[in-house]
Amino acid sequence: MRPKSSRREFLALGLSLPAAGMISIGPMSQLTTSAAGPSPDTAGGLSYRVLGKTGLKVTTVGFGCAYTSDASVIERAADLGVNYFDTARVYQHGNNERMVGEALKRKRKDIILSSKTPSMRKEAALADLDTSLRELGTDYLDIWCLHGRDKPEHAPDDLIEAQQIAKKQGKIRFAGVSTHVAPVMIPFLVKKAAFDVVLVAHNFTMDKSTGALLEQAAQSEMGVVAMKIMAGGSTTMKATDPLFLKLQQPGAMLGALKWVLRNSSVHTTIPTMTDMAQLEENLKAMQEPLTAAEEKLLARRLEYLAPRYCRMCGECEGSCAQGLPVASILRYLTYAEGYGQFAHGREEFQALPAALTKVRCDDCPSCTVTCPYRVQVTDRVRRAQELFA
Amino acid sequence: MRPLTLAMAVLAATSLGGAREIADCRVVPGWEQDGPARTFVADNLFEYVDGNAEGYLAYGFIHLENVTCKSGGSTIVIDVSEMSDPDAAYGIFAANRDPKRPVATIGMGGQIQARSALFCKDKYYVEFTDNSDQGRDSALQAFVAETEKRIPGRSRPPEALSWFPPNKLKAIRLIPESVLGLRLLKRGYVAEYETGRAFVVTEDSAESASAVMNKLREHFGQSVPLAVGEESFQTKDRYLGGLCFFRKGRYLGGYANLPEGQDAAGLAAALATRLP
Repeated sequence: MRPKSSRREFLALGLSLPAAGMISIGPMSQLTTSAAGPSPDTAGGLSYRVLGKTGLKVTTVGFGCAYTSDASVIERAADLGVNYFDTARVYQHGNNERMVGEALKRKRKDIILSSKTPSMRKEAALADLDTSLRELGTDYLDIWCLHGRDKPEHAPDDLIEAQQIAKKQGKIRFAGVSTHVAPVMIPFLVKKAAFDVVLVAHNFTMDKSTGALLEQAAQSEMGVVAMKIMAGGSTTMKATDPLFLKLQQPGAMLGALKWVLRNSSVHTTIPTMTDMAQLEENLKAMQEPLTAAEEKLLARRLEYLAPRYCRMCGECEGSCAQGLPVASILRYLTYAEGYGQFAHGREEFQALPAALTKVRCDDCPSCTVTCPYRVQVTDRVRRAQELFA
Repeated sequence: MRPLTLAMAVLAATSLGGAREIADCRVVPGWEQDGPARTFVADNLFEYVDGNAEGYLAYGFIHLENVTCKSGGSTIVIDVSEMSDPDAAYGIFAANRDPKRPVATIGMGGQIQARSALFCKDKYYVEFTDNSDQGRDSALQAFVAETEKRIPGRSRPPEALSWFPPNKLKAIRLIPESVLGLRLLKRGYVAEYETGRAFVVTEDSAESASAVMNKLREHFGQSVPLAVGEESFQTKDRYLGGLCFFRKGRYLGGYANLPEGQDAAGLAAALATRLP
């Protein structure tokens, strides 16, 4: 069944905005204060938290191996004490798992290894697991995730059974799911109570309600692993933009990682680390608090992103002369542009009454909708009409 | 549609033409396209290859054309990606190919497995996913052969592949950034040998290459000079093992992970003589 969230539910849950630097929901020029909790356990320049019901003690900065340029970087991270490593079957057609396995073979007993399957059927997923184990050169995974599940029907009982079979066979210790759509998936995962870990997109562009979702997951004793932490960095910016240049400077991205770590519901993070320099930089996030200068830089990045994204405040409700549900349409656009769920966005748009899907902003001489957050509503709704109508 | 949007769509359609023409189900008799073709560009590639899009972007991805071909209950998915240039197309192919299997002479290089195939030719990187019934392998092979014929241009692999001495060579990859995990070495080729790895990074000029050499010396600290190229040195690193670097004009080359006792200078000299 297609997940059908009402606007009320959506407002209550807020948006989880994964996509890489493309989305801002929090108050303009004011970063959301993430749920600062108790200080993590620290030792030797590293900080640790317990990964929910798994009981695993994980470094708060883990290692996203997907785009690492050389095995030596992963090996060094393990030597420095980073103990959570994430890969997936699909990264470089399996070559990433080979590199990770080679890099960590000396340290297997000391580290927590996670991989993921893209398969949608039990038999294929279990075959993937065997391939992952072979390529990683290990006989078990600590965490095995269903990869990129953004709808409940993408984590069906059939695949849950596959994870349970793998547990019984001793091939995995814990079962997980990775998702970009926290508002849809976390309530489902909590209710389902079949998963030990959730790997979820989380960064400073997201509002308080995303934090509430992570808290909900943590309170249900799921381990919470944050990804897409850097919010895409400077990838969406023009090279001539002063902010782009600022973000190229050493250490400029560190604040984004520190911001995520302030949230005690996040147990570990998996920033992608390409090289030794990035590894050394990211490790500082376990030693240093978020500084005022870093917070200011994050606020500047939010300001840069601000005109594009709806905060779902509801102020525009009823103000469109053509009767368009503006906030809902912007939400559908967010599904497509933010969550990578184009089909879902279009499906929601097409479910509107035909009289509304036929409306074109270009037909109005002027727009009656104004946004207190300066979101360029007409442009955004026009974009949705181009994409979905 | 607004005029500007229309103009952009026309422009996009023009530039996408090549990939659209390449991905064609009708090239194999008995097969037809199932549903519309889909196009993905850098901004929305993650909608299709969720979780792996950055792997394409790192190699100069421009756009991807996706079609599903159908024959009876069988389907074969064709993904044609246009990359920035032939070197980039070879780069992503080399990153995704199975290094344990040989490279077939399809375009600049290819591999066909039981349920999938990939190859690169000119600036195109093509992937096939076969969901056919058992015993339909010939369909996959036919698609690969016919699709390869539809791509004009270069079938010759990048020149850089010829730089590396062939003896005991296992695989060569283009690393899009931070060769050997070192940010100083921006982009280059790494060749894996039975023992050790060779690498070549091309800088913009001899001057910038020399500046990188100085920074490398500083980075590794203790080093021993060698007599290879215009400047060179040998050092050791906990993770990169026995190491040597040399500069020849704007090329930086060398070896890493050399075991104790290996003749680093001899290997480096052999590599240097093969560089332009």
